[in-house]
Amino acid sequence: MPDNIITPDIQFVRELKEAGGDTLKKCYQCATCSVVCPMSPDNKPFPRKEMVMAQWGMKDELAADPDIWLCHNCNDCTKYCPRGARPGDVLGVMRQKVIKENAVPAFMGNVVTDPKKTLVALAIPFVLFLAVLGFTGHLGIPEGDKIVYSKFLPISFIEIIFMSAVALTGISYLISLNGFWTKMSKQNGLSYSKGFVPALVETVVEILTHKRFEKCEVNADRKNGHMLVFYAFIGLLITTIWITYYYYVPKIHSPIPLTDPMKWLANLSALALIVGVLILIFNRIKDKGFDTRSSSFDWTFVIMILLLALTGILTEVIRLAGIASLAYPMYFIHLLFVFYTIVYFPYSKLAHMGYRTLAITYSKMTGRDIAL
Amino acid sequence: MGEQKSILIIGGGISGITTAIEAAEAGYDTTIVERNPYLGGRVAQMFKYFPKLCPPYCGLEINFRRIKQNPKVKFYTLSEVESISGSEGDFKVSVKVNARYVNEKCTACDKCVEACPAERPNDYNFGMDNTKAIYRPHDMAFPMRYVIDEQACKGSACSECVKVCKYGAIDLDMKPSTVELNVGSIVTATGWNPYDATKMENLGFGKIKNVITNMMMERLSAPNGPTKGKIKRPSDGKDVQSIAFVQCAGSRDENHLPYCSAVCCMASMKQATYIRDKNPESKVYIFYIDLRTPGKYEDFLRKVQSDENIEMIKGKVAKIEEDGDGGAIVTAEDIVGGGKVHQKVDMVVLAAGMESALKNNGLVSTIKTEESSFAISEGQAAGIYVAGVAGRPNDVTTSVQGATGAALKSIQSLVRR
Repeated sequence: MPDNIITPDIQFVRELKEAGGDTLKKCYQCATCSVVCPMSPDNKPFPRKEMVMAQWGMKDELAADPDIWLCHNCNDCTKYCPRGARPGDVLGVMRQKVIKENAVPAFMGNVVTDPKKTLVALAIPFVLFLAVLGFTGHLGIPEGDKIVYSKFLPISFIEIIFMSAVALTGISYLISLNGFWTKMSKQNGLSYSKGFVPALVETVVEILTHKRFEKCEVNADRKNGHMLVFYAFIGLLITTIWITYYYYVPKIHSPIPLTDPMKWLANLSALALIVGVLILIFNRIKDKGFDTRSSSFDWTFVIMILLLALTGILTEVIRLAGIASLAYPMYFIHLLFVFYTIVYFPYSKLAHMGYRTLAITYSKMTGRDIAL
Repeated sequence: MGEQKSILIIGGGISGITTAIEAAEAGYDTTIVERNPYLGGRVAQMFKYFPKLCPPYCGLEINFRRIKQNPKVKFYTLSEVESISGSEGDFKVSVKVNARYVNEKCTACDKCVEACPAERPNDYNFGMDNTKAIYRPHDMAFPMRYVIDEQACKGSACSECVKVCKYGAIDLDMKPSTVELNVGSIVTATGWNPYDATKMENLGFGKIKNVITNMMMERLSAPNGPTKGKIKRPSDGKDVQSIAFVQCAGSRDENHLPYCSAVCCMASMKQATYIRDKNPESKVYIFYIDLRTPGKYEDFLRKVQSDENIEMIKGKVAKIEEDGDGGAIVTAEDIVGGGKVHQKVDMVVLAAGMESALKNNGLVSTIKTEESSFAISEGQAAGIYVAGVAGRPNDVTTSVQGATGAALKSIQSLVRR
């Protein structure tokens, strides 16, 4: 008997195809993609091997593969592919499937990675917030000329809901990432030429500067869009910590005046988010000399981020305009997208931040890094 | 039975002349219309051709003699079919005959070339050298008659060639003419053109020094080529010690030619033997997706594989970079060995594919083609047949066999009414 018997997982192949990787069977393994890819290392290059793994439905191998995360979706592979097999799209779908595969608890992965279940995903915070509003007797529009959102949903409730939810999913995320690391290092079995911490530090510096992203040639605009979104989220994270500090220490309560530096950061971040996500959207739509497509999983996420930014800005603008009957419902809707973004992050496209960081770190530790 | 009409053969390459000779030797009148100033087509540009690896002249010479001996074969060179009307048994064909400026009195004495002050890039050698504006198409051209490139010639103001020609063979006032033919059946043997390698931007042809095409390699290897058969780098004339063949350069690629060009694997292996025979120290690297060596050609593959200086790497070259000393670095993923290969070589040969000469050709209104521009084999209008690469990419042997079949079909067309 041979040592290795590969049993094709037809179901998994079908899932990949349905999720947007329908071109994967066109690949005839010429390896053009591995050569034109600016992210592909010399040692065990990708994505040619991932394409054959996809054709055979090698789910476990793909789940432990660092290389699908080294991919930055530049799409040089798709441009030069002689068969229209679109490796860029197929790898994107693989990442979605691996996020789902590694999700803890599994049902959350099922709900959030499936674009068809987006409404279910949004229904959870909807019901939750409605229950809280009912419980605190705030189902109507609060009275008073001044619009104060905490009159509607008290800060303490928001904090309890979000902190506990984020703590839970944060722990789940760490479990998922730990599982991913274990699988990756066990399956690939490469020896280390660098320690975890120095490799991680290098990786984080690279991410902060988006240096790796600069290597994308066919799809250069994506770097700017991604960088804006990335720093917008960091800005919004700082804002969140800042306002919590205001609330508890100097006891400054919202709404915070527009002149406050915290508000500057908040508004600047919101603006960066919307500009960044619009760049990403237009970049997906525009003609780059080859037919561009992306899976509905990718689209779901950019649309969620766009809605998050839009509802956030509207919540603020309508409040400043003093239209209470619109302001409170808008705030309610905005909170749904906030919940989607920060509570579901281990299962949405946002999950890539941990997987990619670990994959790049691993590639540095095993001497498979590329020159930047 | 009334007057027997003739068979028109469009294209005077190996397929066209085979069809013409086979039909003529069976007793039928044939007329070849050839665009070049000579017959023989692409085969005449080869150093050696399959399956016997002999120089093309040995095959072409026999055919040319058969043509010379047979009054039933007529041919027009420097000519193009402009329009076809009518139907089977009664086609009206309009042929434009371009001016050669040299008549049948030419003895190929070469005096005119010595006198001519103007030059032109030699398209027979793919521009790797120049000829004078008046030139012999190639050493053993048939018909053996010189020709003037009107783009390069300075015209009657110069007339240096006319002055030195003792035979009165040069007529600078010659004008193009149109010949009307009435034929019974038509064989399309229009053949192919090498795919324009500059379209593959990642392979750097035309930008990176010493990246050439497989047809250029034939010329570089041939004794009547620009280097007299010494395989030297075009950029600096250095003897080529190492060479990389890039298979499927354009073929099997939906961005370029979506089909397999059928001969490039064999052609590259054949060309590998050129350099190995001429230079025992040389190293050859053949990068391929799949090696396609059908039928008996498998034996040739075995022979080439047994040469330890010929390395075959499974993985398509998708990047070529110039190296400082005029060499090139080709990059591919070695799928069998694992890992990317960055191979430095003196020269790179792109195994560029075959593009149908019917592409962007006015004939397509009469000759039905597929999306790929190759003529369809079944379903042409009655009386119209296809031979050789006009129908699909093929090697010489297959083309010649098909050409004989096309001769029979075109005869049947004449006889059955």
